[in-house]
Amino acid sequence: MSLDATDILPRAAAASAPAAPKPRRAVRTSSFGYRFLRSRTALAGSIGLALVAGAALFAGQIFPGDPLDMVARPFMWPLTSAEYPLGTDMLGRDILVGLVYAARVSLAVGLAAAGLAVALGVVFGALSGYFGGWVDQVLTRITEVFQTMPPLVFVVVVVAILTPSVSSIVLGIAVTSWPQVARLVRAEALRLRDAEFVQAARVMGMGHFRIILTHILPNAISPVVVAGSILVASAILTEAALSFLGLGDPNLISWGSMIGSGREVLRTAWYMTALPGLAISLTVMALNLLGNGLNDVLNPRVSLT
Amino acid sequence: MTSPFETLALSRRTLLAGAGASLLLPAAARRAGAAPAAGGTLVAVLDPEPAGLVAGLTISAPAVAVSANIFDGLVEYDEGFKLKPSLATSWETSANGTVITFRLRNDVTWHDGTPFTSADVAYSLLEVTKKVHPRGNAVFANLTAVDTPDPHTAVLRFSRPSPVVWAAFNGTETQILPKHLYEGTNPLTNPLNGKPIGTGAFVFKEWVKGERIVLERNPNYWDKGRPYLDRVVFRIIRDPASRAAALETGEAQYIPLNPVPLSDVARIKASKDLVVETRGFEGPAPMYFFDFNLRREPFGDIRVRQAFAHALNRKALAETVFYGLAKPAAGPVPSYQTQFFAPDLPQYDYNIAKAEALLDAAGLKKGADGVRLRIDHIPSAYGEDYRRAGEYFKQALKRIGVEVTLRNYDLPTYIKVVFTEYDFDTHSAWYSAYPDPQIGVQRRYWSQAIKKGTPSSNASGIADPEIDAVIERIQTEGDVEKRNADIRELQRLAQVKLPSVNLLELTFYRAYSAKLSGIDLAPFGGYQSLKTVWVGA
Repeated sequence: MSLDATDILPRAAAASAPAAPKPRRAVRTSSFGYRFLRSRTALAGSIGLALVAGAALFAGQIFPGDPLDMVARPFMWPLTSAEYPLGTDMLGRDILVGLVYAARVSLAVGLAAAGLAVALGVVFGALSGYFGGWVDQVLTRITEVFQTMPPLVFVVVVVAILTPSVSSIVLGIAVTSWPQVARLVRAEALRLRDAEFVQAARVMGMGHFRIILTHILPNAISPVVVAGSILVASAILTEAALSFLGLGDPNLISWGSMIGSGREVLRTAWYMTALPGLAISLTVMALNLLGNGLNDVLNPRVSLT
Repeated sequence: MTSPFETLALSRRTLLAGAGASLLLPAAARRAGAAPAAGGTLVAVLDPEPAGLVAGLTISAPAVAVSANIFDGLVEYDEGFKLKPSLATSWETSANGTVITFRLRNDVTWHDGTPFTSADVAYSLLEVTKKVHPRGNAVFANLTAVDTPDPHTAVLRFSRPSPVVWAAFNGTETQILPKHLYEGTNPLTNPLNGKPIGTGAFVFKEWVKGERIVLERNPNYWDKGRPYLDRVVFRIIRDPASRAAALETGEAQYIPLNPVPLSDVARIKASKDLVVETRGFEGPAPMYFFDFNLRREPFGDIRVRQAFAHALNRKALAETVFYGLAKPAAGPVPSYQTQFFAPDLPQYDYNIAKAEALLDAAGLKKGADGVRLRIDHIPSAYGEDYRRAGEYFKQALKRIGVEVTLRNYDLPTYIKVVFTEYDFDTHSAWYSAYPDPQIGVQRRYWSQAIKKGTPSSNASGIADPEIDAVIERIQTEGDVEKRNADIRELQRLAQVKLPSVNLLELTFYRAYSAKLSGIDLAPFGGYQSLKTVWVGA
């Protein structure tokens, strides 16, 4: 385990713990909530993410109307007009409104793609890790086939074949990112299948699938949660890359599509690319912080002694 | 081999190389009318890389831009669309319009040293242009024979008068290819298409795929004294930002096609070292339009089509999406082709209320969600500008309660979906109108131009007996005035029947270094040979 700020944090808390009077032990320091709140990374990440999610959820209330509407003079620079604080793009669309609405598509794509990838990965990983033998052989080979392909190229092919739309983009990203989850779950399942409590369950005559659902997966879930939050971030980035390449859904506004359309005027109006780029960076950073934080929170080795 | 001009060119180059002499020349050379300076290398930029270098076979714009330097046509156009000699020195048409006689130059040789004769003309027209050129078959449909009474006379015989051929004898459209190297082969697969041998001002030197095409001065060129440049290098640069950078750093001096994104034009124009030239594209004449798929409802209803025409603000489209480098089109023929253009055509002004009233009348009432019609739209896949225009259409039509779903495709898929499967509700694109409406305009309106699988054909599916009758009269009418009257009638019908909304006359542009002189501004100048170009100080 590497030493970073978050490792030190709980220890610092631990150092002060003995000084506290005995009744304070009523607080369960091993509880998820307690550890989560003690982890600055997890907290910072989730606050950042909450802001983005809030913007996405309440976009319609904050800015009623169509974000793609051409409302003003094109090429208005940020901070030059009170009405359009972040300026307008080359077609005269309000960039601030665009950024807020784009959060919807970017987050939705990120969550849906990560969700789908995790679902696929968990099924493949759990089956191959728990059963081993030829099941493992076959499923691992399949996983490897998907892993050998460069992910972005693979997504581009999938999206180009299925015609660009949100669902094809989600599918493309999920199809290329599930193998890492599968490998993670497989490793956990391999470790757990011979654990004593699993053996006990087996002796009691519990069915395979019930064992997987009630004993293997709950114990394998923490690395998956961490990987999932990172996957959301990488899915948002992939969606941005696709839109940048002109393979985004042209009927929706996403940060990637804003960057893609701003790219052409990069030399004359860099703000059209920089602003959505900033939004992506902050969101991805929030997700990564959350992922790292969760890793610390869920890892019992980083703990209060 | 060494002509007096070559010696002169050499000596002047030697002079220029000397530092002292170069102090004397520049100021004089820069002044308008100064004698052209020979020598030097011109670096031009191409995008995309052409598939072949013979424009008589590969008609993509970058192929033409290179090929016009290597091959000649029988004639050229001057800036007023008038013919001037090229491989032919003079020509005459018989009284009934069915025989055209060309007298050819007798001092022309191919780059391999073989003399150029009328047999080359006969072979090129009958075997290449008429059989394999994508447009040649239609333009030269009535050409039945080419007689060669002597090596320097070619007599073209037509089954009926074909005035349209006069719009196609120039070297960017109908090139004369060497019979001795092409006869007996399939012209489309002849390996010479990648290392061509022509009669043109420049000789093909090398083609490094994906990187550059190098041409060198033809010392035996018939147009004595020309070309001035020693060497032309066409570099292939795919990224628009890099093209602009190459020009701005002086790494390249000339970009004939699609030099920089529209949004960068103003910046390039502002530079005193660079020139943005919009003249030289009146020949290709790009016209931008919005097609309805008439096979699908509700576009069979003229009121729906009229409503769309009223809902699209062509002026705003030109100003925002095309950065002012376009102007509203009054019809299918560009207004600068004054010999054909019909003034006072029916127009559809930008009027939302009228558009909504028309849709109401057509029975398309607004639903509870404010939407009265849901359709899709496929913008042309030839560039970002056209996709942005699609976004503009989506918003404009939303104002009249029409919800548009945009479908963007890569180029091959776009061609398949629009021109083979006809799987679209509406579609926007530009076609070249060309110097004669029979070449560029009729293919949008003629029922015979509904050709599955042919790009830039009749995609709307319009098959109207009245329009067909006019088009067929235009094809066979020998009398220029009567024919022009029919061409004006075609434009009127196009506006009245409205199978597609004529949106804009697009403006193409070249960008080049201010040090270049002698840039060809004729109607096909953008694709024309660089034989007139020289590098000033």
